[in-house]
Amino acid sequence: MSTAVSNGTGRVVRVIGPVVDVEFPRNAIPEIYYALKVDVELAEGTKTLTMEVAQHLGDNTVRAICMQPTDGLVRGTEVRSTGSQITVPVGDGIKGHVFNTIGECLNLKPGEEIEADDYWQIHRKPPAFAALEPKTEMLETGIKALDLLAPYVKGGKIGLFGGAGVGKTVLIQEMVIRVANNFGGSSVFAGVGERTREGNDMVHEMAETGVLDKTALVYGQMDEPPGTRLRVALSALTMAEYFRDVKNQEVLLFIDNIFRFTQAGSEVSTLLGRMPSAVGYQPTLADEMGELQERITSVRGKAITSMQAIYVPADDYTDPAPHTAFTHLDATTNLERKVSDKGIYPAIDPLASSSRILEADVVGDEHYTVATEVKRILQKYNELRDIIAILGMDELSEEDKLTVGRARRIERFLSQNTFAAKQFTGVDGSFVPVKETVEAFKKIAEGEYDHFPEQAFFMCGGLDDLHRKEEELRASAK
Amino acid sequence: MGAQLRVLRRRIKSTQSIKKITKAMELVATSRVGKAQTRVAASLPYANAITGVMTALASTANIDHPLLKPRDPVRRSGVLVVTSDKGQCGGYNANVIRTAEQLISRLQEDGKSPQLYVTGRKGIAYYAFRGREVTGQWSGFSDKPSVEDAAEITKTLLSAFVSGADDEGDDPGLDGILGVDELHIVHTRFVSLLTQTPEAKQLAPMEVEEVEADEVPDLMLPAYEFEPNPDELLDALLPKYLTTRVYAALIDASAAESAARRRAMKSATDNAEELIKSLTRERNAARQAEITQEISEIVGGASALAAAGSE
Repeated sequence: MSTAVSNGTGRVVRVIGPVVDVEFPRNAIPEIYYALKVDVELAEGTKTLTMEVAQHLGDNTVRAICMQPTDGLVRGTEVRSTGSQITVPVGDGIKGHVFNTIGECLNLKPGEEIEADDYWQIHRKPPAFAALEPKTEMLETGIKALDLLAPYVKGGKIGLFGGAGVGKTVLIQEMVIRVANNFGGSSVFAGVGERTREGNDMVHEMAETGVLDKTALVYGQMDEPPGTRLRVALSALTMAEYFRDVKNQEVLLFIDNIFRFTQAGSEVSTLLGRMPSAVGYQPTLADEMGELQERITSVRGKAITSMQAIYVPADDYTDPAPHTAFTHLDATTNLERKVSDKGIYPAIDPLASSSRILEADVVGDEHYTVATEVKRILQKYNELRDIIAILGMDELSEEDKLTVGRARRIERFLSQNTFAAKQFTGVDGSFVPVKETVEAFKKIAEGEYDHFPEQAFFMCGGLDDLHRKEEELRASAK
Repeated sequence: MGAQLRVLRRRIKSTQSIKKITKAMELVATSRVGKAQTRVAASLPYANAITGVMTALASTANIDHPLLKPRDPVRRSGVLVVTSDKGQCGGYNANVIRTAEQLISRLQEDGKSPQLYVTGRKGIAYYAFRGREVTGQWSGFSDKPSVEDAAEITKTLLSAFVSGADDEGDDPGLDGILGVDELHIVHTRFVSLLTQTPEAKQLAPMEVEEVEADEVPDLMLPAYEFEPNPDELLDALLPKYLTTRVYAALIDASAAESAARRRAMKSATDNAEELIKSLTRERNAARQAEITQEISEIVGGASALAAAGSE
């Protein structure tokens, strides 16, 4: 095929929703993942649509997924192959701006232009095997439950799992405030298939706290076609990779919400006529997730630390979508409805959350022992729950009664006032250093605060807060 | 999904066997309440008679008897706490222990140091766990206390009380035993099948309970002539009277224990039923979800294959 041309022109032969079949001349068939452009005449003017080639059907026809709604597109319309994949702008010039999947800036002031160092294609190879560098340094978040039981890894992948409405997005916002604010490198935020309002809130929040100048945001929210939602994570990731590989910076990557990526993949898969696999997901589920996740890695000396919110459909962790994401992560934080029902925020499930670095070698002996002890106490309480429900507290042995009392105090002490929830609670957030966290939980587990009322442990920061609350409660009781 | 279903099934099964046990215990406790009440009724005539005699004696005899005379100062007081041997009786033990703790802290506020005497394994375990010193302990009869048990307890209590008379401060005195100057008993009173109230009473120095004439119609106080003299009689009868009071407290407590257990087991059975109901509902939902999902997968797969075949 020496006469092949990379940017030929074709014609639309079929349109079914976001799936468009295009016929090309024999020598100008675009490769898979190549971007196609088509102009659509609408009443309000001409609009350019971007499509991505997904399948070669034979007979010189390719099947493409459109990144915008296809209304107004008719058979016979001329389609241009761009000769490359979808590209996004990269470089320091993109900070402070909001983009869509195809790299168009959404918040340009009149007359302003993006100063991009380069335009990168969004489908890239993961770093080579030899370039990887596993890190085992802890990232301090100042949230007691996280630091103690599921410490985050610098340069690692962190997943926040949770069902609908248990506080994933709020926790991601909290992380942006806590981590990105005190962070030297660049941040990239990807809004995948979530609410547009939340995306807007995030921009304003960042502008207020001054993080916006260090952050690039890419949005493909829930009102967009599946093709957009499927690629928006890749666009954001590409920007992050540029900061890592070319600028040699530490990068923070926030993704809210990875599940929507899988969901979009499932929609596209169905539109392409692939046979659905388990629970109706695409047969290529693990592969798609792997391609995305394998790129989010730290290479020698330069780290991408990513925090991903992952929606758990119907609170079922065995669902293939969250389960596939699970295996890629260094630390997982599970948000649990039963916990949020008790009014404990952040609603972290202390027993299900875990981290690769919760080992004595990494976090230190004391931290490890205290974390294990806290988990043991909570586990015991869990086992006793049915007995308490049926027979009542009085039937427990003396040791078990003590354990239950401490477990209830620990459970409450795992809640914390957060910065992101200030608008709801009116209380400012608190940052508790790991050392203080470990010390506080050690004391509770050893029974030093058995005489404090349970209420005092609720929604407070460190030990000072606890003592102050206890005094307040004592004063109001009189 | 499958794993969740299995977990639910297992929990339902174990809750069902718990329910069987609590139901059986409820029935057993119901019959025990009746028996205990019969025992209380059977002990009444003797208790009334001896109280009558004591009242008569006390009104005639020299009031200087050590068992009757309040001591000053009171340095130590003995507290007998009546608890049960077995659990599964709701707040029964917790309530009586709480009353005992209140009494003890009151005694301590008055500058008296308390000495514990405990009957029933639950109470013994409670104090052992907290590392508190227990001077005397008895167990193994809380469901069916006998007069011998009461007599044994009384003997220990009396010897402590009597030996307390010659103590000076923390010095045990001539007999070498650190005795007590006061005796209290804390037990649960059986009010009705639904109500049992914990109660603290003073045992010694004794206040002989006056018996109203209309309660015991054939009581005639002045008609007694004492032989030998009232003082000697008092010496012999007072310990017996004390035994009667301890025994009355023990059987009353055993009736209260059975009643408390009946009620606790009834609510446990109800709770188990409630739990089984909600778990069963959850299990059905999980099972149905699994079925629906399988059907939709089969249908989806078949239609995808059909669509692929037609092209």
